[in-house]
Amino acid sequence: MSAALYVELLDLACGGLLLTAVLVLWLRELSAIITIFAAQGLALTAVVTVLAVQQQDLELGGVAAGILLLRSGLLPWLLRRALAEAGQMQREIRPLINVVSSLLAAAGLTLLAYAVSQPLISLAPTPAGHDIPVGMAVVLIGFFVLISRRLALSQVVGFLLMDNGITTVAFLTTSGVGLVIELGISMDLLLVVIVLQVLNTHMRTAFGATDLDELRELHD
Amino acid sequence: MNGLRVAAAIGQPVLVLALSPLLVGMMRQIRARLEGRAGSGIGQPWRDLRKLMRKQPVAPRGTGQVYRTAPLLLLATTLVVSVASPFIATGSLLDPIGDLFAVIALLTLGTVALALAGLDTGTAFGGMGASRETTIVALVEPTLLVAVFALSVRVGSTNLGAIVTSTLQDPARVFSPVSLLAAVALGVAIIAETGRLPVDNPSTHLELTMIHEAMVLEYAGPDLAVIELASAMRLTVFLGLLANLFLPWGIATSGNPLLILGAAAAFVAKVAVLGAVLAAGEVFLAKLRLFRVPELLAGSFVLGLLAVAASFSLA
Amino acid sequence: MNLLTVALTTAIGVGSLAAVLGLLSPRRVRATAVGVGTALCGAAATVAGVAAIGGQHATLELPGLLPLAGVSITADPVAGVFVAVTGGVAIAAGIYGIGYSRHGLDGRGVQAAFPLFIVSMLLVPVAASVGTFLLCWELMALTSLLLVVAEHRQRPEVASAGRWYAVMTHLGLVAILSGLLLLTAHAGSDSFPALRQAARHLSPTMRGVVFVLVLIGFASKAGIVPLHAWLPRAHPEAPSHVSALMSAAMVNLGLYGIIRVGFDLLGGGTRWWWLLVLALGAVSAIYGILQAAISTDVKTLLGYSTTENMGLVLVGVGAAGIFASAGSPVLAGLAVTAALLHVINHAAFKTLLFLAAGSVLHATGTRDLDRLGGLRTTMPATTAAFGLGALVASALPPGAAFISEWLLLQALIHGLPSAGMATAIAMPLAVAAVALTAGLAVATFVKAFGVGFLARPRSPRARDAVESPASMITGMAVAAAGCVALALLPTLLLPGLGKVGAVLMGGPSAVAAGPITLRLVGVAGSLSPLMLTAALLVGLVLAAAAVRILASWRVRRQTRLWDCGAGPLSARMEYTATSFAEPLQRVFDDVLQAEQDVDVTHVTESRYLVQAVEYHRRVPDRVERRLYEPVLRFTAAWGRAGRRLAPGGVHRYLGYGFYSLLALLLLLVVTR
Repeated sequence: MSAALYVELLDLACGGLLLTAVLVLWLRELSAIITIFAAQGLALTAVVTVLAVQQQDLELGGVAAGILLLRSGLLPWLLRRALAEAGQMQREIRPLINVVSSLLAAAGLTLLAYAVSQPLISLAPTPAGHDIPVGMAVVLIGFFVLISRRLALSQVVGFLLMDNGITTVAFLTTSGVGLVIELGISMDLLLVVIVLQVLNTHMRTAFGATDLDELRELHD
Repeated sequence: MNGLRVAAAIGQPVLVLALSPLLVGMMRQIRARLEGRAGSGIGQPWRDLRKLMRKQPVAPRGTGQVYRTAPLLLLATTLVVSVASPFIATGSLLDPIGDLFAVIALLTLGTVALALAGLDTGTAFGGMGASRETTIVALVEPTLLVAVFALSVRVGSTNLGAIVTSTLQDPARVFSPVSLLAAVALGVAIIAETGRLPVDNPSTHLELTMIHEAMVLEYAGPDLAVIELASAMRLTVFLGLLANLFLPWGIATSGNPLLILGAAAAFVAKVAVLGAVLAAGEVFLAKLRLFRVPELLAGSFVLGLLAVAASFSLA
Repeated sequence: MNLLTVALTTAIGVGSLAAVLGLLSPRRVRATAVGVGTALCGAAATVAGVAAIGGQHATLELPGLLPLAGVSITADPVAGVFVAVTGGVAIAAGIYGIGYSRHGLDGRGVQAAFPLFIVSMLLVPVAASVGTFLLCWELMALTSLLLVVAEHRQRPEVASAGRWYAVMTHLGLVAILSGLLLLTAHAGSDSFPALRQAARHLSPTMRGVVFVLVLIGFASKAGIVPLHAWLPRAHPEAPSHVSALMSAAMVNLGLYGIIRVGFDLLGGGTRWWWLLVLALGAVSAIYGILQAAISTDVKTLLGYSTTENMGLVLVGVGAAGIFASAGSPVLAGLAVTAALLHVINHAAFKTLLFLAAGSVLHATGTRDLDRLGGLRTTMPATTAAFGLGALVASALPPGAAFISEWLLLQALIHGLPSAGMATAIAMPLAVAAVALTAGLAVATFVKAFGVGFLARPRSPRARDAVESPASMITGMAVAAAGCVALALLPTLLLPGLGKVGAVLMGGPSAVAAGPITLRLVGVAGSLSPLMLTAALLVGLVLAAAAVRILASWRVRRQTRLWDCGAGPLSARMEYTATSFAEPLQRVFDDVLQAEQDVDVTHVTESRYLVQAVEYHRRVPDRVERRLYEPVLRFTAAWGRAGRRLAPGGVHRYLGYGFYSLLALLLLLVVTR
């Protein structure tokens, strides 16, 4: 793979990552959000695959396959199942911060990510290093989803977005996380999602809805 | 080079003028076929224009000079833009105004003329259309200019000819994230500016939903013909700009007549494809509520800003 | 003795003479004498300003005129721009004032203050020592205050506006005074050259403190958010030709102060200063135009639009500072040239708009857009004037403001690669802010012109309006001519302005202009305003000819408007300014937070039948509510607390004096 093509493909894949993160904020339909999340998994896979091909690293290729399976296969499937059980709550109707403000905030967060990752880029002035801000931006946007969305399921997606971002940064900075470490992270992630889903189901049977604002009632 | 410029200056407006009703006809036909109707044929908009031109001009009582001049001004701005933009040749006779900002501002001037005409009628419909249209114009502007910014940063110029030439010289640029993000942002902005679904429904006449049609509700006869023609031309011009800013191939760079003919054919093909995609997409879309439109535009603004961010991080 | 000295002296002499005439001449000829005198003063000042831009210098020292410091005057190119702008506005406002002053504005005080106000505004930019500068600044504040409250007998709101103005302008003066005094203390002399020398040896922190202090003072004069609160109050309540002077000439001097102190006296400074200026400018531009977009009072709308335009100029100034500190004087020159051109353009169109608004107020007695409409048939000249002004103000081609905004955007776009991260983030955001401002300005002025002048009258007073007298129309025509000239031939002006920018920034001139096309120097970019207008005209003629030939030749038939078959349309069915701006108000509700309530009165027999619907909307200035009200409450609380100290006994008051004296003496003993 020529250097120019490598840079181009990496940039495109990172562009896809960022675009999907923004789309999660843009859309209200939970099923669409899950689809977008799966697409982000694809973009992340693409990033790792490009890195693997560039470094001729078989282990990295294995990691890419794992990411593909987990993040655009298993996790979206689990989320979809949760959504199917959720009944009426199919849309994020009134997020805590409205969509326009969220989008503008996402723009601000992206610029912030670019600003704060300058030192990281100068540490690793490789083509991959130049895309670190994208990973940072995805982390920040994921965090923003966590604080601004009401439904438990959107929050799970926000959490997963953050994790996608962290993984991206990890791959771009060190050009490769060990297979074992990635495996460990993936297992953790899976566990978290399953636990959250169990919690989610319990909440729904107890309260009939998963609007997290209503959790405050537990406190009173 | 001068021959090329003259050819472009005459050829481009003629081409846009002649083809834009056909483009609208084609889009309606595609839509009709996809919805299972027979459709009225590609030439129908031209036949409508001919019919309207033959009718007696009408002056609704209480309207003034602004109302009468607005259609002509709309047509004039579109004509000027179609001369100044690089549609079939990179050099333009009006090169010093072939600037992205100038072109966008000129097209906005046309919209403003129509909005004033809508207010001039003094009917509730006219005011409503004008109010909605100017709201959308105000919100589209940042998206448009930020997308323009992303495009022109690498070139170091906002001149349309310069942007097109530089893309021709460096084709790899087309598939960079900057271009893709900017293209999507610009595409959404153009859909809003030309009043297509999901921002405005060009075929509705329901008072609660119409925007553009509400502004021009009072127009009839030749005035309406001018407006219809100019609106179609605006659509063509916008699609042509979108096509040539991102995919400029086929555009003529020298005065060879064959090249110019080829460029004209390429331009027609590109606009037709874009129009077809737009029409096919519209079949699957419903009109957004007016107060959801800002969400759409904010999204495309963010994409534009991301394009800018990408352009300086990757540069 | 060069042209500049002669013209400047003439301007000041004629202006002072007009002030004397205003005091002494009989009421019959007073307005005419003052108006003509003011216009002549303005003409001389314009000549002086142009001469100064052209490179002439003039210096004048009158050490004996004032105790302590004396008066010292230097006219350089930067000052020339502001002198010329003030002069140009004065011509139009002076002529206009002849007709406008006929109703209760021809008292001695007002007529004498008017030329004095202009003279003080001419002196502020040419002052070359802190003493002279502050003296002229205060004279300007006082005369303008007198003019703002000119109509306080007719309308009670005027007094409140005057109070706001008086307090804020003096707080601003305090800030400027402390800043400049800090600098003077280090210099040992109050002349500007001495300050320039001293600033070089000042510590960066000290310079930062001085800059922030003067920035506060000057920004409040320029109506920059959050120090704008006086502007939308004072500008509408002043007589219209005074509003024009304040909005088109006086606010500029705030910018002049920022440019003079920031770039000239303090010599540029560090990046954060200018990032601050840029941010203030962007916020002011958006906030100002948003308030203007939903405002229904035509003069308040114009006042807020002044905040917007000053914000845009500050964006240019801030960008220039950033580029200069990043070491690219060419771009800095371009940005500052754009800012100065926008100052000039804004002066031209804002004069025109305020004069036209005054003409409407004169004819109909109302400034409320919701009650206007249909003026195009009864007041064609005023309508044309406002239409032209609105076209320019909305920054669309072929207007003049389009050219300055184009230059500004060019500077911002080319600035991106020049410097580090902060710039890279600031520039796109600034472009977005300028673009949003431009878009909202379009909506604002479509509303102001379309609702105010087109369609049918919405009240009897608007229906019975009559065109204003010839002097007022002439005044508007002068301003209109300025707008047209600036739109068509900025190429004559720009090389001069480019040199001014070059003088300020120390690079080459950023703009080169042939007779038709202007080109940027150092970066790619060209635009031809003349060609643009010509092309539009040709397009218009071609379109008209084609329609004439191809369309049916029958005469236009008068028809009814579509009224849904419900009988003739009444004025109550028209869209008003409030309803026009409603979508924008809803879109920006998070920012504006309008207060609205709807009262529905039902028919007594059934609650399904509505008798009347009452709709109230108020858009309070949110910055004011958040920032000023707590301060005012706090002050009031202190005032109440202070009252307890003054129960009224003479002995108590004498006692205060005695105890203070004792405390002072004790302090002396202790500190010795």
